[in-house]
Amino acid sequence: MGLLTAHHLTKSYKEKTAVNNISFTFQKNKCIALIGPNGAGKTTILRILAGILDPTSGAITFQNMEVGSDFRSKIGYLPQYPVFHSWMTGLEFLIYSGRLSNLSKVESRNRAESLLLKVGIEDAKNTLIGKYSGGMKQRLGIAQAIIHKPEILMLDEPVSSLDPIGRREVLTLMGELKEEMTILFSTHILTDADEVSDELLLLRDGEIVESGSMIELREKYQTSSIKLEFQTDLHLYQKKVEKIASTTGSYIERNALYVSATDIQLARREILALVSKENWPLLSFTLNRATLEDMFMKVVNQ
Amino acid sequence: MMQWMTLFNKEMTENWRNKKWIWVPLVFILLAITDPLSTYYMPQIIDAVGGLPEGTIIEMPEPAPAEVVAMSLGQFSSFGVLIIVLTSMGTIAGEIKNGVAELILVKPVAYKNYISAKWAAHLLLILVAFAVGMFASWYYINLLFGDLSFTSFLFILLFYGTWLLFVVTLSIFYNTFFKTPGLVAFFSILTIVVMSIVTQIFGTYLEWSPNNLSNYIFEMVRADDISSQLVGTSIVTVAISIVLLILSIYIFKTKELIQ
Amino acid sequence: MQEFLENINWGIIAPLFFIQGLLLIFAILDWAKADNFRGPKWMWFCIIVFINIVGPVVYFLFGRRRN
Repeated sequence: MGLLTAHHLTKSYKEKTAVNNISFTFQKNKCIALIGPNGAGKTTILRILAGILDPTSGAITFQNMEVGSDFRSKIGYLPQYPVFHSWMTGLEFLIYSGRLSNLSKVESRNRAESLLLKVGIEDAKNTLIGKYSGGMKQRLGIAQAIIHKPEILMLDEPVSSLDPIGRREVLTLMGELKEEMTILFSTHILTDADEVSDELLLLRDGEIVESGSMIELREKYQTSSIKLEFQTDLHLYQKKVEKIASTTGSYIERNALYVSATDIQLARREILALVSKENWPLLSFTLNRATLEDMFMKVVNQ
Repeated sequence: MMQWMTLFNKEMTENWRNKKWIWVPLVFILLAITDPLSTYYMPQIIDAVGGLPEGTIIEMPEPAPAEVVAMSLGQFSSFGVLIIVLTSMGTIAGEIKNGVAELILVKPVAYKNYISAKWAAHLLLILVAFAVGMFASWYYINLLFGDLSFTSFLFILLFYGTWLLFVVTLSIFYNTFFKTPGLVAFFSILTIVVMSIVTQIFGTYLEWSPNNLSNYIFEMVRADDISSQLVGTSIVTVAISIVLLILSIYIFKTKELIQ
Repeated sequence: MQEFLENINWGIIAPLFFIQGLLLIFAILDWAKADNFRGPKWMWFCIIVFINIVGPVVYFLFGRRRN
C-alpha cells in the first residue's frame, strides 16, 4: 500500500498539455526527486498533489482515504517562490500557519519556536518577514510547511534560487527531515537530486520518461566504457581490443581509445591480461562510470 | 470556528498594522462633517471672501436636521463607497495575485472560512468607521441645526448599514471573480453606478432597489416615521448581500486559483 | 476677513482641523517607517503634506506595496 497514488493525472490548458496521463505511487519515508528540464511539468504536478490545482482528469488517492477527499492536512508544501505576509514576523507567520492547520494555540507556539531553531532563523523570529533575505525566506518556507507534521513534504525547486551556502544548508536540512517524513521535491539540478533522493521520477514534456531508485537507474543506464591511452599506434591496438570476446565496440577520440563492453569487469580483466602479456605501451587505463548527468541526458533526449 | 477566528484575527491585525483602523474612521468623520460645517458657515465664508457688493444681505434658510443627515449620507454614498471599494479591492485578489494565497490555501483551510472571515473583518471596519463618522455628524446636527434624537441616529446606522453591507459584499464578490485588484474596484463601482441609473430610470418598478435607501432614510428622519419601503428595501439589500456572499464562496471553490 | 475670523466659533471648527491634522500625522509616521513604495519616497511625502485630506488617503491606498 503506497502512501500516495496518482492515477492518470492530466492537466491541459488551451494551448498545451502540462501534464499528460501520469501515474505513480510513493512509498512511505522515501525521498523522491521530480527531475526534468524547465517546463517539463514539475510545478504543475506538485500543485495538483498539494490540492491547489485541479487536474483536468485523473485522481489522487492518499493512503486508504476516498478519492477526492481533502488530505491537505497530511501535506506540507513550499512553492518555488514563496510569498509571505511581509507585515508579520517569522514567529507570527509560523503560529498562523499552525493555527490554520488546526493546531491549538500552545501547540502552534511550541512547534513554531522549535522549528525556528531547527531551520536556523531563531534570531530573526521577531523581525518582520519583509526584511528577510531570500535564504531566510526559504527556511521559513520549509518551517511553515512542516509545522503540522505532515506525512508528505513537497518542495518546489527548494534550492535553485539559493547561493552555494544556502543550498548546502537546505540540502542538509532535507537530509534530516527525510528521516521523519516522505519528501517529494522538484529540481532541474541533478547533483541535488543525486545527493538526497532515494527515487527519481524523470519528466519530459509532461510525461514520466523514467522512474526508479538511483541504483536501479544507474544499472539500467550504465554504459561504462574503458578508456585506454597509448603513446602510438592506436589503430593497431584498437584491432586487437576488438578481437576480445567481451567487447562490443570501440572508437578513437583525441589520442584515446574508448572501449565499451557488455560485462565491463570481464572486459577489464581480459584487456589487462593482454596488456601485460604483450607488454603494450600503455599510458593510462581508466574505467569510466556513467554519471547521473549522462543518464539524464540520455533519457531526456530519447 | 477556531480556524475562522484565526483568519479573522489575522485580518484585524493586518488592518491595524497598515493603519486602516486609524485612517478609515478619520476620513469617515471628515466625510460626515465637512458638508454640514461648511453649510453652516457659508454666509460668513461668502461675506469674508467679499464676492458680494457692500450691504448685500445673505439669506439662506438653515437646513433641517434631515437635510444635514442627507448631506452626510450623500458623502458616504459617493466618496465613502469609493473608499470601501479601494480598501477592499486587494483583500482576496491581491493575495492570489502576489502568491500568498498559494501558501495559505494548501493548508486545510475551508474556503468558506477564508472568504467569510475577510468579509466580516472588512465589514466591521467599515461599519465602525461609519458609526464614528455619523456620530460626529449627529453631534454637530444637535449643536448647530436642531434636534435629532439618538433613536433616529441608531436607525440611520441600522438602515444605512445595510447599504454598506451590500457595498462590502459586492467588493468581496468581485474579489473572488478577478485576480487583479484594479478590476475588482472598477467592476464594483460600475455595478453601483449602473444600479443607480437603472433605479432612476425604472424608479416606479424598482421601489425596493438598494440605491433608494438614502432617500428613504431622509424621509424617515424628516417625517420621524419608518416607512414600509425603508424596511422592505433594507430586507432586499440584506438578502442580495447574503446571496452575493454565498455566490462568492461558490465561485472561489470552483475557480482555478493559480495559472 | 478679521470680522470673519471673529465670527467663527473655534470650538466648533477646531475638531475638523484636529482630525485633518491626525490624518496627516499618521500618514507621515507611516511614511517614515515604510520602505517599499510605489514610486519615489519623497514624492509621497509631497503628496501627503501638500494635498489636504486627499493626499494622506491616496498615500494609504496606493503609496505602499503589499509585499
